[in-house]
Amino acid sequence: MNLRFRTILVASLAFASLASIEADSDAHHSFAMFDFAKTATFKAQVKEYQWTNPHVLLFFSVDPAKEGDPRPVWWAELTSPGNLTRVGWSKRSFKASEPIEVTIHPLRDGTQGGAFKEAKRLETGEVLTSNLREAEKPGLR
Amino acid sequence: MLEKTMNSSSSPPFLPVSLALCAVLAFAACQPALPATTDAPVAAGAVGQPVDGAAPSASPAASSAPSAAPSAAAAPRGPDPKRVASWSALGELPDWDGSWNPNVSDQGAQIKSNPVPWNERAAADVAKLGELEKAGHPKGLFVNCLPEGMPSWMLITHNALEFLLTPGRVTILGEMDANRTRRIYTDGRGHPEDPDPSFHGHSVGHWEGDTLVVDTVAVFPESYLAVSEAVGLPNDGDLHVVERFHLVEPDILADDLVIEAPHLLTKPWTTQRRYFRQRSHKFDIVEGVCQQGFFTSQVDADGHHVFVPAPQTEDGNPVPSGPPAPSAQPAKAHAPAKKAQK
Repeated sequence: MNLRFRTILVASLAFASLASIEADSDAHHSFAMFDFAKTATFKAQVKEYQWTNPHVLLFFSVDPAKEGDPRPVWWAELTSPGNLTRVGWSKRSFKASEPIEVTIHPLRDGTQGGAFKEAKRLETGEVLTSNLREAEKPGLR
Repeated sequence: MLEKTMNSSSSPPFLPVSLALCAVLAFAACQPALPATTDAPVAAGAVGQPVDGAAPSASPAASSAPSAAPSAAAAPRGPDPKRVASWSALGELPDWDGSWNPNVSDQGAQIKSNPVPWNERAAADVAKLGELEKAGHPKGLFVNCLPEGMPSWMLITHNALEFLLTPGRVTILGEMDANRTRRIYTDGRGHPEDPDPSFHGHSVGHWEGDTLVVDTVAVFPESYLAVSEAVGLPNDGDLHVVERFHLVEPDILADDLVIEAPHLLTKPWTTQRRYFRQRSHKFDIVEGVCQQGFFTSQVDADGHHVFVPAPQTEDGNPVPSGPPAPSAQPAKAHAPAKKAQK
């Protein structure tokens, strides 16, 4: 478990009383629920990749022993399929059981999710990012 | 013979025959989809000659020949020239083809460089919302998946939109919500005297050169004037928006907005949003249904593919569609109404 991740867990305990606050992970929402000042990186396996509106979801499994956290399944939220297409993604960008190294901006409430930052395919070394602001130009091919 | 006779209006004995033939011709002409009857071909063949210069057939063109016995069935067929002209005239309008993506970076920059002139009460409410967002507990203005409406759609969307230019109307379709649609009437009409309010209001427009000027009223008072998905207020009524859509570069479209929201603002807010174009079919707008996020796919006991409410953890976090891992937190049915209260 890296130091950043440990910080998140501490924050998680501190906000245990706020557990009833919902994450609004599945509709139009502000991304302020994610802490963009922090990152957490995991060696993981893709568990499920949901190419759906309004937000694409990537679920991934981690080894609790290696991460020092009992929670084996985490998720990363992305923008819409239409927007991700613009930055080169498709419904086949990930396949189940694929080994990845994934970095997220974690939820502020410490629960096991976050905003997707990037993922590296461990089999090929290819890095996938999803920053729309890097593709704010016309005439893309 | 017959031709001469028909062309000779001074031959009274043949006039009734002429009228009868014309009537039969007209009948034949209005039945193009029907199989030939005994009467129609005989009638056409009996004439066998142009009628006042018309083609010697029972084709639709024959019915356009002046007849001594005009009827509804003898009305001109084929495209209405005025309609053809109105569609052809669209070619004179600016080229707004393709998909248009909002410049999200510019949205943020606009809010900082040209803030909303909130009135005192609204500013206090907005400050509270801003504090919630900074603390990481944003109020979700649109988590219930109702349309963002006007003017928020134009102000804060992150999704693509497209313009359909047809005679007398411009239609804006958005990627998300499935029902994100603006109908802008450019046929010269005004607003109704007592319009039914809606999320996107009633819009009329006109062209000033290559600029589309749009006037919008009758927006629900509940519809937000938002600067983000977490900061915005219901317009509270009497919203009036004037927009000028125009290209500022070949592939950059600007929407200059003047927003009058007298219950929220100290003065009309003039701002601009920019969109950049993709022409490649790869970026065609796809269907985006906001509420899909509330559901997940399953195969039911009868083998049918069905949508069922998406499970969540007690924290409100999503879980995979498959069976949850044993140590995962318990799932519960999703309750969108509760989320909307946040």
